[in-house]
Amino acid sequence: MHISEGVLSPAILIGGAVVTMAGVAIGLKGVDNKDIPKMGILSAAFFVASLVHVPVGPASVHMILNGLLGFILGWKAFPAILVALGLQALLFQFGGITTLGVNTMNMALPAVICYYLFGWSTKSSIKQSVFITAAFASGFCAVLVSSILVGFCLYLTGEAFSPAAKLIVAAHLPVMIIEGIVTAACAVFLKKIRPELLEEINV
Amino acid sequence: MFKKNQNLCKVIPFLYLFLLILPITFHTTAAFAHKVTIFAWVEGDTIYTQSKFSKGRKAKGSLVTLFDMEGNKLLEGTTNEKGECSFKIPQKTGLKVVLKASMGHMAEWKIPVEEIAATQASQTKTPEAGVISDIISPSNLSGSEADAKQPISGPASLQKEEIRRLIDESLDQKLSPIINMLADSQDQDPGISEVMGGIGYIFGLVGVALYFTNRRKTQEVRGQRSEVEK
Repeated sequence: MHISEGVLSPAILIGGAVVTMAGVAIGLKGVDNKDIPKMGILSAAFFVASLVHVPVGPASVHMILNGLLGFILGWKAFPAILVALGLQALLFQFGGITTLGVNTMNMALPAVICYYLFGWSTKSSIKQSVFITAAFASGFCAVLVSSILVGFCLYLTGEAFSPAAKLIVAAHLPVMIIEGIVTAACAVFLKKIRPELLEEINV
Repeated sequence: MFKKNQNLCKVIPFLYLFLLILPITFHTTAAFAHKVTIFAWVEGDTIYTQSKFSKGRKAKGSLVTLFDMEGNKLLEGTTNEKGECSFKIPQKTGLKVVLKASMGHMAEWKIPVEEIAATQASQTKTPEAGVISDIISPSNLSGSEADAKQPISGPASLQKEEIRRLIDESLDQKLSPIINMLADSQDQDPGISEVMGGIGYIFGLVGVALYFTNRRKTQEVRGQRSEVEK
C-alpha cells in the first residue's frame, strides 16, 4: 500500500506532508520516558511487518499493523509510523521519500481513528471478550480506512475513485482479517504480561 | 515496581526474538511480492520490456508507456500474461519506459541514446549490405582483374557489414539468457542485513530520544538542587 514516487500530484504530496507534520507534532507533545521504548518496539514491528506478504490477484499486499500501533499508542503512532516508513523507503525502496508524508498520513490517520473508536476498551474494568473484539476491530478497521484513504489519494490524482478503492479494499480483505487476529493476539498478550502498557496512555 | 521490571526483562527478549524470526520464516515460505520493477532492453529495432512485482510475480495487464527524455508520451502498451510488452523504436533519442501497476505502484527504466543508436546504426546499414552482397557473389568475383578491382574495395567493407550483422544476430541470441538474468536480478528483495539495519536504526533512535528526555530531567533536578544549595 506504499504509493510510489511520481504517481501523485504535488498538491496531494504537500497536503499529506502537512497532515503528517501536524500528527507528528501532536504525537511528540508530552512524550514521556516510559513511552519511548514502547514506541520504538512497535515502530520496529511495523517496519518488519511490511515484509510479510499476502499474494492477492495481480498485485501484492502485506501486513501493516497500523491498527495495533493506534490501539496501543494513540497519537504517538504518528512519529512511530513515520520513522518506520522512512526506513522502509531508504532500505527497502518501498514507497519513496517524496511520498513519505502521504504514506504516513494514510497509515497513521486510521491508527488514530481506531484509537478513538476502540481505545476505551483497554481499561481494566472492561470484560475480556469485549476487549478482544475491540482489538480485532481496531486491526481490521485500520487497514480498511487506510485502503480507502489510498484509493482517495489515487482518485485525487485522476484515477476513478470507486474501481481503485474497491480493488484496494478487496485486495486487503485477507490482510484485514489477519491484522485483526494479530492485533487481538498482541493486545491480549500485552494485557496479561504488562497491563499498564495499555492503560497509561492519555493524550 | 521491581517485580514489574523483572517481568519486562522476561518479555523483551521474546519480542526481539519475534522480530528476528518474523522476517526469516516468512522470507522463505510465501511467494510474496511488493514493489514493482520494469526492465527494458533493445534488440534490433524493438524495445522489449519485462515487468514484475518483486519475487517474480509478473505484472499482468499493466500499462506501459514510452516517453522521450523530455517527458513527451510516444507510445503506450499493456503487458501480456508474462508481464512483457514491446515497442518498435519510434525515434533515435534517449527513451524512458514507465510502468503503472495497480494501487499506486509505479516504476521506470531509462534507455540511453547510445544503446538505441548502436543497434540502429547496424540496422540501417544491413539492407545496403544485403544488396551489395549479391553483387559480390563468386560469379562476379571470377571476372577479369580490372572488373574485380572496382568492387574489391567494396567487398572488404561489405563483408564486414555482413559479418557484423551475423555477429549482432548471434549475440542477441547468446545474450538473451543473460539479459533475462539481469532482468531477474533487478528486483532484489530486502535481505536480512537491511532488516537488521532498520531495526538497529529504530533502537538507536530510541536510545537518542531517551538520552535527551533523561538529560532534560537531570538538568531540572540539578537546577532544583543548586537552588536549594543557594
